[in-house]
Amino acid sequence: MSTPAAATDRGAARHGGNRASSWKLPALFLLPALIIVLLFFFGPAIVTGYLSMTDLSARTLSDPSFVGFDNYEYVLGSRWTPLILRNTLFYVGVTLLFNVGMGLVLAIVISGMSDRVGNVFRLLWLLPRITSPVIYVVMWQALMARAPYGFLSQLTGQSQNWVNAYPWHSVILINGVVGASLGMLIFTAAIRSIPEDLFRAAAVDGATTWQTVRRVILPLMRWPIMFVTAYQTLSLLASFEYILLLTNGGPGFFTTEVWSLWAYKEAFQSYVGNVEFGLGAAMAAFLVVTGIVASLIYLRVFRFNDLLARPKIEVN
Amino acid sequence: MRNSKAIRYLFAFVVAAAVTFAAAQQTITLEAWTIGPDEPAVHRAENLEAAALILNEQLAAEGADYRVELVTDFETVSWDDFRRRLLLAFDSGLAPDLIASSHLDIAVWSEGGFLMELDGYIAEYDAFDDVVESLWDFTTYKGAVYGIPINPEARPFYFNKTLLAELGWSADEIEALPGRILEGDFIWDDVVEVSLEAIEAGVVAPGHGYWHRPADGPDYYHTYMAYGGRLQDPDTGQLVFTQDAALGLFTLLGRMADEGVILRDLIGTPWPEWHRTVVDGEVLFNSAGTWSFAEWATQFSDGGYDHIWETFGFALQPAAERGGTPTTLSHPLAYYIWSGTDHADLAARLLSIVTTPEFDVRAMESGHLPALESTRAEDAFLENEFLSQVSYMVDYTSAQPVHDGFGRYADIVFRSINAVESGQLTPEEAVELTVEELQRALGDQVSIE
Repeated sequence: MSTPAAATDRGAARHGGNRASSWKLPALFLLPALIIVLLFFFGPAIVTGYLSMTDLSARTLSDPSFVGFDNYEYVLGSRWTPLILRNTLFYVGVTLLFNVGMGLVLAIVISGMSDRVGNVFRLLWLLPRITSPVIYVVMWQALMARAPYGFLSQLTGQSQNWVNAYPWHSVILINGVVGASLGMLIFTAAIRSIPEDLFRAAAVDGATTWQTVRRVILPLMRWPIMFVTAYQTLSLLASFEYILLLTNGGPGFFTTEVWSLWAYKEAFQSYVGNVEFGLGAAMAAFLVVTGIVASLIYLRVFRFNDLLARPKIEVN
Repeated sequence: MRNSKAIRYLFAFVVAAAVTFAAAQQTITLEAWTIGPDEPAVHRAENLEAAALILNEQLAAEGADYRVELVTDFETVSWDDFRRRLLLAFDSGLAPDLIASSHLDIAVWSEGGFLMELDGYIAEYDAFDDVVESLWDFTTYKGAVYGIPINPEARPFYFNKTLLAELGWSADEIEALPGRILEGDFIWDDVVEVSLEAIEAGVVAPGHGYWHRPADGPDYYHTYMAYGGRLQDPDTGQLVFTQDAALGLFTLLGRMADEGVILRDLIGTPWPEWHRTVVDGEVLFNSAGTWSFAEWATQFSDGGYDHIWETFGFALQPAAERGGTPTTLSHPLAYYIWSGTDHADLAARLLSIVTTPEFDVRAMESGHLPALESTRAEDAFLENEFLSQVSYMVDYTSAQPVHDGFGRYADIVFRSINAVESGQLTPEEAVELTVEELQRALGDQVSIE
């Protein structure tokens, strides 16, 4: 015969056992992802941090020395740091606005079209993304070269290298067109997942198109907008291939040089091959920190916790 | 029956012998990475391939039980890609046995321990005695020789004869221009004045008076040297930055940009567009290399060499002051042996075979000069009109320093040139900034004078 106390103990044991099994199974499922994250995300960040404290260069490749925070001091002491930071903020900010805004507009406009026409437009907008960056940029250069080589110069009758004449416009446009296609795809999927009833209700209430977009579509798309914004911010902070190929940071003097391009040049590019991997790693470490800070800000601005909260009412 | 058994034994014996023979003769694979990037310079790879055939003939004659298979790679895109690929290969222990690259790479690569010292092999093979003596200076670093020099060149100042004629210059005046430059009678200020005249007369468009290369590189230093600049102290080996000379160079380029002789955004122009514009006859003066002559004729001109000869004249780079000395610059390449190779002796033997006039003379195909004394006496060289006409330039040439800090030095100076031409800095500000940056980046590796 069991006593009430014994029953309570068994209950506690059962409860404890449930608690153990309640984390073991999820942990098992999370393990593969955790291993990947540790290996491919934390690992490189730690290696970058380590390399940034060495003098690793082409010259010292086989025998680097530990130099502490010298590389960080060198970067912070550079007179170009503020200029390149400003360039980076401008580039990321404006391209992001273009990417997200254009992606949103495209998604909304194309969602209003028939599937057949919409698919053609979607495919057209995806072309820049599926084209190799080198070919894509070479095509833009051919468009924007001086006459008689450049299409735009021929068309306007004004012979100039349009990329050099409008460097930021070119960089943002060329990046933005690629970036907008990602937003377009995700936003289109999000718009399609909005229940049809809500659009009908809005129509019955006499909402205009703008009001439907403003009051129905946008509030329900906070999650995809947050995802695209955060993803594009990190991607723009780290990617520089289009700028490298298009202007290489010019024309002139650091005109379109952004942080990641600067780091790439220090680490991998020099006319006579004396490249500084340690210094490049220190510059990359700044990007890692910036990316983390930006992500935390986005989580707060878009109220990430609210998005993850259980719904207050469950409708079955 | 017995016969068929005997035949079977004989057959088995032949097969066994063939297998044994094949197994006994090893194939040693050597790998060589070479670079143009100008396409006519493909002989840097092809010469090694042909030399490997000779090496195999020699090995066969010696009864050696191995043969060499040479795998070559020829880079035509950029120095930057080539060097990055090599660095990664060095680091991963997968570098090629042989490399053809700039003599400037010696400093960084030998400091990194990637190159083999060649002094022993140079003493072993007589072929190396034929190398033009002064070229060994380019491939010697801290007392040791690391490379076998190939393909020295000069960097001429080209003028478009058709455009000068349109401007009203007589044939005699055009013909006399190289001589005037040699005597210091036509200097950089004259380049600016004539360019402005040509622009005003509508012979060329604004910004098309004079074009230098559109990217980082050695060409700026011949003009810096014309203004009295030094790059390295021959006694201490320390890098040197001469402020007055830099001010001269920056002022010249700044003036050219301000007055519309040069395009403000010339730097950054894609190379193909640069070459096409020059070859199409839209630029009055330009600075390029001897190899450009071959490159223009074979890659950019429909009319080939005839068109290039008709259109372009060439001279030394002008002096900075009247009566001054003109300049040019050489950037020889060299063959190197990777320090990690398992076949250094074979690689060195291959280099001794390729260091003969038979192969050296092919430098002419890409507009380069011979590296061997005996090639200079070869009929093929003497009969080459272009090279025999530019060979005097060697007496006025200089080179960039073999120093492991020169990469940073060059990056900083180029950034300032870029800033002056784009109008972001005055020449004085640019000199001040260059000094500050050089001292910050290189410390006591550089001396400011």
